[in-house]
Amino acid sequence: MASEIDIYNQYPIHMDPASKALSLLSSTTPAQKALLTTELEELNTLHRSLISLDPPNIPPAPLPLNPKRSAQISKLRDSANTAYRKSNYDEAIKLYTYAIDMGLARPGWEPVGVAREELAGLYGNRAQAWMAQQAWPEGLVDAKASVDSKPVGNVKAWWRIAKSLAEMGRYEESRKFLHKGLDIEGKESEGGKELFALLEEVDRALLRGLKA
Amino acid sequence: MFGVDWLGLAVPLAYLGILLGSLATFSSLYRKRKAHKAASLEPWFPAHLQRDIYFSLLHLEPSSNEKKTAAIPDSIFKASLLRRAAEDIRRIMALRGQKQALSMLLQRGSVGDDLWKRFERAEKEMEDEVKDVVSEANAYVPGWGQTIFQSANEMLNNEIYRKRMEEQASKVEEERKWWDKKKTSIKEGFMKELEEDSSATQTTPTSTTAKDPETAPTTSPAPGASVQGSDDDAVLVEAENTSSTPNSPASAKKKGKGKK
Repeated sequence: MASEIDIYNQYPIHMDPASKALSLLSSTTPAQKALLTTELEELNTLHRSLISLDPPNIPPAPLPLNPKRSAQISKLRDSANTAYRKSNYDEAIKLYTYAIDMGLARPGWEPVGVAREELAGLYGNRAQAWMAQQAWPEGLVDAKASVDSKPVGNVKAWWRIAKSLAEMGRYEESRKFLHKGLDIEGKESEGGKELFALLEEVDRALLRGLKA
Repeated sequence: MFGVDWLGLAVPLAYLGILLGSLATFSSLYRKRKAHKAASLEPWFPAHLQRDIYFSLLHLEPSSNEKKTAAIPDSIFKASLLRRAAEDIRRIMALRGQKQALSMLLQRGSVGDDLWKRFERAEKEMEDEVKDVVSEANAYVPGWGQTIFQSANEMLNNEIYRKRMEEQASKVEEERKWWDKKKTSIKEGFMKELEEDSSATQTTPTSTTAKDPETAPTTSPAPGASVQGSDDDAVLVEAENTSSTPNSPASAKKKGKGKK
């Protein structure tokens, strides 16, 4: 066993002394080379983010979380919400986009649950801002991203997907998402009722389409 | 007296010798072949790239004859070890997922013993691999071995999640194109049948106002939604405007705050 664990493939890796970036020396097969280069790329990125950490230079345990980034993001979200309330949708979308980019740029070792929760809200809000401008495709994609981040307890995002689809005349798809949302949220909840109301609307539209 | 015995014994002795000899050769051959077979079994996973890189880095210094190549800093080793741990987790998850299905198939006889042997070997290897990573981590920073796999696990999940979000975001263009095309076709339809009522594409106006986000309960703009059909031109213009009008954001924000 001991011999097996010591076996490995040696790769000709070179480190640039100044930038400390790793790169591959030639003399490998093309297929291998592509794989290795992307891996080294990732490694370099990770290395850069490790260097920026405090002295032991190891990622801290996932919890407790460094509150700095969360505070910045929620600040951005708050000003975006204010802009939205003032019907300043371009501004709101811009701020939401900043916040989303920031959330996506969280270091990888932070808990994924936190990022999901945060981004689900941000995507959902941006979807709403898009929809306020009748930008249905963008709203649809953002709402979908929101649901993907957090399927449960995210009834608004489900509603927004269905609404965007219905507005674009894609009633069949809208219905599918409404049913999915209802399955998850249940009909009794506050949001569930609204989903149900939209479902009835969509069904009516479908019927009209059949008759026409 | 002895001579007679020797002659008499020669036959059974030869018999025994041939018997034992043939048994010995057979067993040794059999064992050799089995060992060879086990060794030649295909590994469960492809080469562990991250691990290879880590070891390549470790062994880089003695092999590089140039004096000027600087020693690789610890931080690179740490990063490399983290990547290795993340790949380990991916493999362990894969093994865990496959184990049950595989043992079922084995019980039913759907798969051969070879496959199971390969699987067991992979499991054993991963066990050793994890132990190795933990001890390496502890060598860099005492106590890191306890958290390295937690960190690696989050990294892996985050990576998966980011990829999905990227995938979602990449669909925007496609959806936008589709909608623009559809909108123009709807518009053309209206041009043809101007007198026809647009009830087919209409949606009731109440829905947009009824569902406000908690972030903006007061002002939900639903002017276009209800009159989408007849007002299609206006909607189009508005939608196009949104992306092009650069609203001076800072001033708007300031104004808002001032008002409050």
